[in-house]
Amino acid sequence: MRKRIPVVLDGDPGHDDAIAWVLANASPLLDIKAVTSVCGNQTIQKTTYNAGRVMTLIGLDVPLAAGRVKPLVADPIIAPTVHGQSGLDGPALPEPKNQPVSQDACALMADVLEKSDEPVVLIPTGPMTNVAALLLLYPHLKKKIRHIYMMGGGIQYGNWTPAAEFNILVDPEAADIVFKSGLPITMAGLDVTEKALVFPEDFERIRSLGNPVATVVAEWLDFFYGFHRSLGYAGAPVHDAVAVAALIQPEIMTFHEMYVQIETTGDYCRGATIGDPYGSLNQPANVRCIMDIDRQGFVDLLAEAAATYGKGA
Amino acid sequence: MERGRDGMAKQPFLLDCDTGVDDAIAILLSKHLDNLELVAVTSVAGNVEIEKTTVNALRVLELAGMEHVPVYRGAAKPMMCEPTTAYYVHGKNGLGGLDVPLPKRGPESMPAWDAIYETAKRYKGELTVVAIGPLTNLGLAFVKYKDLPDLIKRIVIMGGAAVGGNVTPCAEFNIYVDPEAADIVFTCGAPVYMCGLDVTVPAYLTAEELDELGALGSKQAKFARDVVQGVLKYSQGFDLPGMCMHDPVTLLYADNDSYFTTKHVGIRVETKGSVTRGKTVTDLYSDKQMEHNAYIVTGVDREAFKNRVFELMKHYGA
Repeated sequence: MRKRIPVVLDGDPGHDDAIAWVLANASPLLDIKAVTSVCGNQTIQKTTYNAGRVMTLIGLDVPLAAGRVKPLVADPIIAPTVHGQSGLDGPALPEPKNQPVSQDACALMADVLEKSDEPVVLIPTGPMTNVAALLLLYPHLKKKIRHIYMMGGGIQYGNWTPAAEFNILVDPEAADIVFKSGLPITMAGLDVTEKALVFPEDFERIRSLGNPVATVVAEWLDFFYGFHRSLGYAGAPVHDAVAVAALIQPEIMTFHEMYVQIETTGDYCRGATIGDPYGSLNQPANVRCIMDIDRQGFVDLLAEAAATYGKGA
Repeated sequence: MERGRDGMAKQPFLLDCDTGVDDAIAILLSKHLDNLELVAVTSVAGNVEIEKTTVNALRVLELAGMEHVPVYRGAAKPMMCEPTTAYYVHGKNGLGGLDVPLPKRGPESMPAWDAIYETAKRYKGELTVVAIGPLTNLGLAFVKYKDLPDLIKRIVIMGGAAVGGNVTPCAEFNIYVDPEAADIVFTCGAPVYMCGLDVTVPAYLTAEELDELGALGSKQAKFARDVVQGVLKYSQGFDLPGMCMHDPVTLLYADNDSYFTTKHVGIRVETKGSVTRGKTVTDLYSDKQMEHNAYIVTGVDREAFKNRVFELMKHYGA
C-alpha cells in the first residue's frame, strides 16, 4: 500500500466541512494528524464544539485545537442562514469524547509540522486565519507544508457578496498572506463547487447505506440543501468536500493554473479572488484552480466514503 | 423624423464615442438602422486623446455621408483620475493609422455634456443614448443637470463585464478609464443596458468575414476592412477567433434586441479596490442579490449579428 499522506484538517463545521471530514477520514490515502477549528460559519465556540462532535461521530481520535476568536484583522461574519444557529443544525450528534487541547490552532499545526518526517498537507475549508497565523508565527516551518488544498473564493463570481465567496470574505488578509506565500495551493472555489451538486436522490442513496454516519450525512444534506433550494439550486453544493476530493481523486477534476490575487479593499470587491488567466498582471501562476468536476464521480466518492462506516442495521 | 422599416417613426439616438477603430464601424452602421436615427455625436477621450477622437468622428461621419449630424466635443480627461489610452490597439491616429481625409467642418461650440442635455430636452424623453467610450460626458451631464435622468429614454453602453476584463483581469477598458463616471451612470435612475465583454467578445468577425465585408466594394466597406487590420493582428495575439466588434454590437443591440439575451440585475462599479478598480460588480451569478438597477446583455446570436452588419454595409452600395 502507498504511504499515507499526513494532513491537518482545518475548518469551521459547518455541514460541508463535516462531510469533507467524513470523506477524508474514510480515505486510506490520508493520515489525519490533527484537526483545528476556525471561526467562520459560526463563532469559534460553536465551530470547535461541532468539530469535537463530528470527530466523535466518525471515530477520528486525534488532537483538536481551537483557533482564535476572530479573523486576523476583520470582525467575524457568521452564516446562520446556511448552517443554523448551532452552525451544524439538523441531526442529533454525540457529545465530544475529548476536549480540545489547550494550544491555539496554529500552535498545534506547528507541532504537527515539527514532528512530521515529511511535509504535511493542510486542508483549510473555512477562512484561512489559522494557516496565515501559522505562516506569520512559524515561518521556518513553511518548508514542512507540502501543499494547501483549500475551499474558498471564485474566479468568476462570489456568493456572500456579488464579488466575494464567504471564506475569503471573512478573512481577506489571511487569504492574501496564504496566496502570496509561494506554497503550492489547490483552490476549490465556487467555479467548481457550485458544480459539485449532490441531488436529493443522491441523499437517498447515502441514507440507504443505513450506517449511523451515512444516516447523519444524509440528514446534514437535507438541512444544508434547505438554504440552497430556496435560492433555486438543483442540489446541495458540498463545497468543502471538493478540497478533500481534489487530494484523493484529482482524476475527476479539471485544473487551471493561474495567478490569483486577493482584493482586500474596495466598496464591493473586498474578499474577491481575482484570477488572471491571460497573464495581464505579468505574475507567475500561484494557484491551481479547479474549474470543473465530474459530478457523478464526486457523488460516488462521497457515497463510497459513507459506506466505509459500516453496514446498516 | 424618418420612418423605420415597420413604418413607425425612428427613435432619436445620440452616440457618445471615443473613435476608435470599432467606434468608426459603429458610426458607419448607424446610418441605415431600422429603428434608430442618429441625431448627434459627442466625443470623449478614451482610445486616443480628445482632439483625435473628435476629428475622427467628423472624418467617419463625412465618409458615411452624414455631415448633417452635429459633433460636440467632450471631456479631455476622466472625472477624477488620469487618462488611460489604447494606442496599442487603435493605432497612432486612432483609426489604425489609416490615412483618412481631414473633415471639412469642425465640432459645434457647445460642450458634449450640455449637448446631451439639450438634445434630451428637445426629444422630450424619447432620446436613446448609446455610449461606447468612457462615460465621462454622461457623468458630467448627470452632475450638472439633475433632471436629465427623466429626460432620457434609455442608455445603452459598451463597457464592463460580468466575468473577466481586458485592461486588467477584472476590468474592461471603458469602465476602467473612468470608474467614477461609470458608477454615476449606473445609478442615475434612467434605464441602463450594459453590453460588456460577456456579449461583445462572442460578437466577433473573423479575418475572412472582414475581407468579405470589404469585398462589398463601397469606399465605406473598404474602409471598414482596412481600419480593423491592426486590431485583428492584436487580437490574434490573444487567441481570439477574430476581432471583437465591441461597439458595433452595442449599437445593433440598441437598434434591435431580438437576437440577444438580456437580464435585469444589480450592477455597481468598484472605484476603490487595489486590483479591482473599474470592475463592474454584478449579482448575475451570486447568491447575494443587490438592488436591480440595470440590465446586462449576456448573449448574442453571432450569425444574426454578422448578417445584420453585412445588410447595413450593403446600403452603401458597391
